Amino acid sequence: MGINKRDEGKKVNSNINVTPMVDVMLVLLIIFMVITPMLNNKVNVTLPTANAAIIMDNANKEDAVIVAVTRDGRIFLGADPLSVDDLGPKISAKLENKTDKEVFLRADERANYGKVMDAVDGIRSAGVSELGLITEQRDQTISAK
Amino acid sequence: MGMGGGGGKGAVSEINVTPLIDVLLVLLIIFMVIVPVTPHGLNTLIPQPPKDKTQDQPNDRTIVVQVISNGKGEPGYKINEDSFAKSALEPKLAEIFATRQEKVMFVKGDADLDYSKVEEVIDMGHQADVDNIGLLTPRVLAGQ
Repeated sequence: MGINKRDEGKKVNSNINVTPMVDVMLVLLIIFMVITPMLNNKVNVTLPTANAAIIMDNANKEDAVIVAVTRDGRIFLGADPLSVDDLGPKISAKLENKTDKEVFLRADERANYGKVMDAVDGIRSAGVSELGLITEQRDQTISAK
Repeated sequence: MGMGGGGGKGAVSEINVTPLIDVLLVLLIIFMVIVPVTPHGLNTLIPQPPKDKTQDQPNDRTIVVQVISNGKGEPGYKINEDSFAKSALEPKLAEIFATRQEKVMFVKGDADLDYSKVEEVIDMGHQADVDNIGLLTPRVLAGQ
């Protein structure tokens, strides 16, 4: 252990250790990487699994219209709870400015299918015919497919 | 412990590689965890009400897969009035659609089922190469 003799008042020791700084920075980075996905206006739903699911990138877009049905039968448009009758007009409003009229449905796997059908009816009343059912990835290892 | 002498004049800086590798591995793990978050899903169609008032003749080539709820037990599956076991559904669908040009299928489920049961049937439809799967909801069945 070499003891750096410091002449008081004369030389300033500016050997700053970078490692603790990088450590702190990484911890902050991890915190934000964990927090950010929870910030999207998404409702927490347990998605069902599917074998033949395809990638639906459009669901990640800012203006994607996402209808969620929770296990207890509540219907959400984005993050706002709605009643079935409000769905139609609200979706029409959201789709006005979009060219691609596709709506995504995130329904809990144990949600009552009757409620899901009500949500689909609501979407249908907005004149939408393309519906994407969002599912969980199955058997996916860490590879971007 | 060799000490690379750091005096005032001949500054020899031996950097420790270990913390660097640590930091690198942490970054690597972070990106391995972050990447796979693309949403996956199944495409379906919702039949729209016909524009004209004339009755749309039900095509006798339509395939309707029904999921019938059985109370607490496993649901029953039917393709156009013929019952099938769940494991026999996908092969049968593959067989039906192998010879068809227009791969269109409709799915109907009882209201008291779990959504996952119907979603599995839609999944099987996609596995059997059917691109156009229509969902039959109460309003679709009534409004036509």
